Amino acid sequence: MKSGGSQVLPHLPEAAANAPIVKSAQKRIVGARVRAVKSQVLLLLPAVAVFVLFLGLPMLTVLNESFRTFEPGRIGSVEGAPLTIENYAELFLPVYMRYFSQTYFLAFCASLIAVLIAFPIAYFIARYASSTMRKAAMTLLIGLTFLSALVRVYALQLAFGSVGIFAPIMSALGVNMNGSLYINCVIVVGLLHYSIPMSILILIGAVQQLNPRLTEAAQSLGASALSSHLTVTIPLCIRGLVSAFLVSMTLGISAFIIPWILGRGRVMFISNLIYSRFSEITNYPSGAAISIVMMALSLLLIFIMSRLFTLLDRT
Amino acid sequence: MRSKRNADVILAVSVTAIIAVTVVFLLFPVIVTAFMAFDAREFIGPFPPTDLSTQWFVKFWNSGYLWSGFKNSVQLAVAVTVVATAMGASAGLAISRMSPRWRDLTTTAFLSPLVLPGVIIGFALLMFLSVFNVLPVFPRLLCGHLIVTIPYTIRMTLVGLTGISATLVEAASSLGANERQAFFTITLPLAKNGIAAGAIFAFAFSMDDVTISLFLSDYDTYTFPVALVGLIRSHFELTIAAAAVALMGLTVVLLLALDRVLGLERVIGQGVYRT
Repeated sequence: MKSGGSQVLPHLPEAAANAPIVKSAQKRIVGARVRAVKSQVLLLLPAVAVFVLFLGLPMLTVLNESFRTFEPGRIGSVEGAPLTIENYAELFLPVYMRYFSQTYFLAFCASLIAVLIAFPIAYFIARYASSTMRKAAMTLLIGLTFLSALVRVYALQLAFGSVGIFAPIMSALGVNMNGSLYINCVIVVGLLHYSIPMSILILIGAVQQLNPRLTEAAQSLGASALSSHLTVTIPLCIRGLVSAFLVSMTLGISAFIIPWILGRGRVMFISNLIYSRFSEITNYPSGAAISIVMMALSLLLIFIMSRLFTLLDRT
Repeated sequence: MRSKRNADVILAVSVTAIIAVTVVFLLFPVIVTAFMAFDAREFIGPFPPTDLSTQWFVKFWNSGYLWSGFKNSVQLAVAVTVVATAMGASAGLAISRMSPRWRDLTTTAFLSPLVLPGVIIGFALLMFLSVFNVLPVFPRLLCGHLIVTIPYTIRMTLVGLTGISATLVEAASSLGANERQAFFTITLPLAKNGIAAGAIFAFAFSMDDVTISLFLSDYDTYTFPVALVGLIRSHFELTIAAAAVALMGLTVVLLLALDRVLGLERVIGQGVYRT
């Protein structure tokens, strides 16, 4: 549409004498702009409608439900149930706080380990791998992120579970496979199986944007490989490192299937708590309050991380 | 100087070790599952299997419970792919023509479901839809899957459109094409690969989703992952390994398709998962 405008405008001085023509030309331009905006709105409309109807309104329902009083034995709150903040207040009980701290602690451990392991691998693939090897690595990594969550969980259960392949080795080593420490470790392993390939993919992008000359310059000035990476490469890749950590953390705290299966009911994440509110005791108001708190905490996390990122990015 | 050399050698050795351990860690469970699916024993025994057979695949084939879930999932994924691609591609086209500020804002809004836990989306949708209680299970599942697949179709359409410069469309219109002709002869053919990649993502994530489907399924209509998760929790046996091998096969097919339409390197270059 812009091109239509620029075609007409150069002729304006000549046409100045002929006012009606100018007016009709202007009208045409305005008309074309209106049509362009209209077609944009029409193109956006279906997706916006789906998001408002099936995401926006449902979220408002959750918010409303979270302030309703629940009577045990019913499914969800009764219509017009009195308002209360009880559903939020009870989350401060130590029992509930434990679910939150457990989820955040395990997700944090997994994200930290994932980024630490992923960085050297991503650096290697981005800098030293031949093009065939690079292609193979990419295929493998994308394949692993595409792998069905259930296949992953089943495979890990088959390998590390209480009846799994490693069970005889673990019992020979004297590891208690029913202890909560072992279960926590298996959950972290489950989270890592997803977050390591994801972090590597994000960090490959970050390393590729970094000028290799900078690290080489540090080394030619006498720095060892280790110190040149610590003082040059890593500070310059901080953006990628933070975003890999953030993605791993987001995936970790919202994990559902991994703790559900690998936790064997002994370890539960917040997602599992919400699901049990829904499926076992049908206490929707409490589930809704937990959902709202979980969303607020996720937003807070993203906010803190982006702040941290701006602080670190001064380099 | 000598100590620096030593430090560098240690660094190189430890990076190699990290790579080796990680590759084993990532691939071992998958390989174990693939082998155990062909185990001839009736129970889960030590690895590797002593005898091979296809008995678990036959059991998987004959299991009405899994098979009905599989059929539902494929139908659902096809429907989701068609609707999400159409909506995502048109929204992506509209977004690409916006001013940079609006473009960022709208894209962030549409990508937001990717940071929301699936449990919350499923729970919210279940409560909202049960207020009216008019939709049957299949359309409910479709609505839930659209929310998590449209972000990918929009994103990939935008990736496909980034290479196309506005001058091509302008050239077409200065040669006398009207808006519709320029769209169908220039923009759409060039954005085609990005849109196709979005469709592949939509299919893959719809086939894979458990959390949202778990809330919206019922006893008669359920998806394949919901059926599998029920089975994993009740009888842990090797029929599931056979089903897992089938899903891995599907992953490979999708991966090949993705490589063909867009090239795997390009998927990463643009950072699909950046939040």
